[in-house]
Amino acid sequence: MADIDVGLMRGTLDLLILKALTWGPRHGYGVVDWIEQATGAALLVGEGTLYPALHRLEAQGWIEAEWGLSENNRHAKFYKLTATGRAQLRTGLSTWQQFVEAASRALHAGASPRTA
Amino acid sequence: MSERGGWTRVFRIGVGARHLERDVDQELDFHIAMRIQKLVASGLPHDAARAKALERFGDLRTVRDSCLDIDHQRERAMRRTSYLSNLRQDVSYALRTMHQNVGFTAVVLLTLALGIGANTSTFTLIDALVLRSLPVPHPEQLVTIGDPARVGGLSQGTPRNDIASYPLYADVRDQTRLLSAVYASGRAARLEMLADAGQKEPEHPRGRFVSGNYFAVLQVPAALGRTFSADEDRSPGAAPVIVLSYGYWITRFAGDRSVVGRSVRLNGVPLTIIGVAPRSFPGDIVGQRTDLWIPIMEQPALMPHAPALTDRETSWILMMGRLRPGVTLAQARAELTSIENRSLIENSPTKERASVESNVREKPVQVKSGARGFSYYRRLLAAPLFILMAAVSIVLLIVCANLANLMLARASARGREMSVRMALGANRARLVQQLLTESFLLAVAGGALGVLLAVWGSAALIALTGGAQVDSKLDGRVLAFTAVLSLATAVLFGLVPALRATRVELAAALRAQGRGVSNAERGTGRFGLGKMLVVAQVALSVLLLVGTGMLVRSMQRLQTTDIGVARDRILMVEVDAQRAGYKDARLVTLMREMLARANGTPGVVSATLSENGIFSGTESGTNVRVEGFTAQSDEDSSIAYDDVGPGYFATLGARIVEGREFDARDNETGARAAVLNQTAARFFFPHGSALGSHISSDSLTYEIVGVASDIEGQDLRAKPSRRVYIPVFQIPEKPGHFSLEVRTSGEPGHLGETLRRSLASIDPTVLLNAQTLSSQIEDSISQDKLVARVVSVFGILALALAALGLYGVMTYATTRRTSEFGLRMALGAEPSNVLRLVLGEAMLLVIGGVMVGMPAALGAMQLVKHQLYEIGLLDWPSIVVALVVLGASAALAGYFPARRAARVGPLVALRDA
Repeated sequence: MADIDVGLMRGTLDLLILKALTWGPRHGYGVVDWIEQATGAALLVGEGTLYPALHRLEAQGWIEAEWGLSENNRHAKFYKLTATGRAQLRTGLSTWQQFVEAASRALHAGASPRTA
Repeated sequence: MSERGGWTRVFRIGVGARHLERDVDQELDFHIAMRIQKLVASGLPHDAARAKALERFGDLRTVRDSCLDIDHQRERAMRRTSYLSNLRQDVSYALRTMHQNVGFTAVVLLTLALGIGANTSTFTLIDALVLRSLPVPHPEQLVTIGDPARVGGLSQGTPRNDIASYPLYADVRDQTRLLSAVYASGRAARLEMLADAGQKEPEHPRGRFVSGNYFAVLQVPAALGRTFSADEDRSPGAAPVIVLSYGYWITRFAGDRSVVGRSVRLNGVPLTIIGVAPRSFPGDIVGQRTDLWIPIMEQPALMPHAPALTDRETSWILMMGRLRPGVTLAQARAELTSIENRSLIENSPTKERASVESNVREKPVQVKSGARGFSYYRRLLAAPLFILMAAVSIVLLIVCANLANLMLARASARGREMSVRMALGANRARLVQQLLTESFLLAVAGGALGVLLAVWGSAALIALTGGAQVDSKLDGRVLAFTAVLSLATAVLFGLVPALRATRVELAAALRAQGRGVSNAERGTGRFGLGKMLVVAQVALSVLLLVGTGMLVRSMQRLQTTDIGVARDRILMVEVDAQRAGYKDARLVTLMREMLARANGTPGVVSATLSENGIFSGTESGTNVRVEGFTAQSDEDSSIAYDDVGPGYFATLGARIVEGREFDARDNETGARAAVLNQTAARFFFPHGSALGSHISSDSLTYEIVGVASDIEGQDLRAKPSRRVYIPVFQIPEKPGHFSLEVRTSGEPGHLGETLRRSLASIDPTVLLNAQTLSSQIEDSISQDKLVARVVSVFGILALALAALGLYGVMTYATTRRTSEFGLRMALGAEPSNVLRLVLGEAMLLVIGGVMVGMPAALGAMQLVKHQLYEIGLLDWPSIVVALVVLGASAALAGYFPARRAARVGPLVALRDA
């Protein structure tokens, strides 16, 4: 899946980040970890690409950040979902769902539809 | 939350660019470190783990940069939002405070409106008369040739270069290479217009004779119809047309578009209206209205007996031209000077050539930037207006000091609120911003009110100038001036109190619980600053009051000064017989008949006549040779002169010091006689009597028969000049314009109309204009009166404001010391002791202000001394009056708080404390 489209990729990544945070605050590494496990390491080209996305979502007000102490007692930046982010995740999921259904219907169609 | 991953809050995310970078680095470092840890745990050696971690991360630098980009943008957006929300908060807070203190707000707005309004009014006039450019394309290319203030000038006799003759203009027009074109503009004295069918009484529009290229040079198109073209310059009388100004078209012809093509009669000559100038262009004469423009070629038709187009001895024209691209003013000046000098010298009679040459070398023609047009009033009013500007600035400064004091009192009343807020973490800049917002709001509202006041104020000022027609519209420059002024005002009166209010010693202020103020504050705090502001106000008031006193006294001196004549009993009648066609023998008959008629009018003591009149604005000069006197320079032989009728000196009330006065024998057949004034007699004959010596001018020789006391002829301020008088009936060419001087037994104003009617019955076509000498003199000092009057108004305003400031500070101070006074009285002080104590403190402030203000006043008067008449720089009456008035107002302002302090009963005072 290395050739996946960037635009599609970005939208998907955003959704994945929001999804990763639904169970509570995580730092960036935690988000990467979750995505890798959840997708079987299929989606991330480089782990670094996640960070601009995190910052962009923060600027949009979907997630917010706070410094805290990590499980191994280091300073880490934790992200958590905001109310807007939660709402965004809901609408994003349903849009994505519709898109995937439509795309897969088209991609799996046996023959081109005939016009009468 | 802390269950998941042991998350605990440590500190909030910092702000600022450095924070952002540090945060991003730390965040990314953490990620790499975590990954390394994971890989090491899975069995990789540390170095390999590190390499692997970096590889999995991707391009660290790109990631870091794009994160920072996003963060910076976010930071900027956040700062903008917080700024706007702070501002909204501050404004609504300020509005609430203003609303809660309606009285305070009203006083502040009123004083601000007065101060700013006065400044705006004055600036409007300065802008209109002194600063603004003509509303024409590229005004910076324009140059004036001649004295731009002599817009109504007319001189007969020796050719001159401050105003030019038409032939001289033609020489300049034809010979200049550096100007692309030059137009001529000359006054059209008293026009008589009949515009409607059946109109009986003529009107007198203000017109200018201009050359046909006038509108072309100024690049002004017609708003209606057309303007003049080169055709209008072809030959005298060829183009009987006029162009109306927009204002005159609206007021006289009600903006009727059909006036184009209509014919009006000017001085009996039918002229066709061909167009209307645009609204934006009121003319090239700043400060005076122009109703219509007439082609200069019509001058002979309209004024048949004045050969103003051909005579090199009739000077009446001002010129304006446009520089060719790339030509500087200095280059043009050099060229124009040489053209004018050559023309003046070549056209002078051989025997006068030397003196003309030295004249033009001494006083070359004035070539100046014409961007601001011609103006008589600019020269007249510029100095008074700048004095006025200084006065109103002082008033505004006093207003600021007053407001600063009020704000200070308010701020210190809120001192506890401020310290609490600062203790809770509000930052000082934020609080200062909040307090300043209120000042700015007040200043902006005060400024807006001030602009409204200025609309009225500048109209009032213009009315006071006595005759100037100034376009006082509030244009962008005036509004910009007011805006800047208002903001500066806000900073002046708001900043120091705001800084002072937020400089609270936290512990002290909080400790001082119920009492508003701590002791520590009293010595150096708001009280000290408030006193300093009062001292400053008193100082500024001293400056203004002493100045007012000196200006008023100077004006009184001017009004009562001895000018060598009976100024209250003289009526002057200007006679224009030239236009009605009188000359030579007929003119002499008319003169004699008028003298006889005037002498026969009841109430007239005696009547005489002279060519120039006095305080009429016209003056003649000549060069003379005096028997027994050797002139060292050209200047030595120059002398002012007038040709006068019999009984001239007795009628005016001048003394004959030596010899005799002119009488009936000094007529066409009598021996040529002359009278010198004392200044001339002393100059030419320092050691002996002038009587019997001879004086010659224009190849005629006169015997000096008398010496008369000096008469100040035109300007009260000028030193009397040397002057010679010649009998009017003995000069070869009698003046077509002359002035009858009539001595009356009673108030001359009452006789004016009777006399005018009686004289008009001799020949109704002769133009007459009667005026009392005292009103002529008043006119000549009108700008002194203007300045004295207006500055007085502002002086009183300043005094009232300063007294108000003193009252405020003393009230505040005594209220805070109530307990002290109570204690003093409990210990045996009499109320009178307390009264004296408080009044003494008020007086101390006044004395401090006077000490600062006096030297400033004397310095300032040094700057305006040329405006003062016979007033020394240490004018004790003015100073004493100023100090007495100030002391009395201060005593009054201090008395009420002092009395209140003295009345406080000891018990009340101690309990309240």
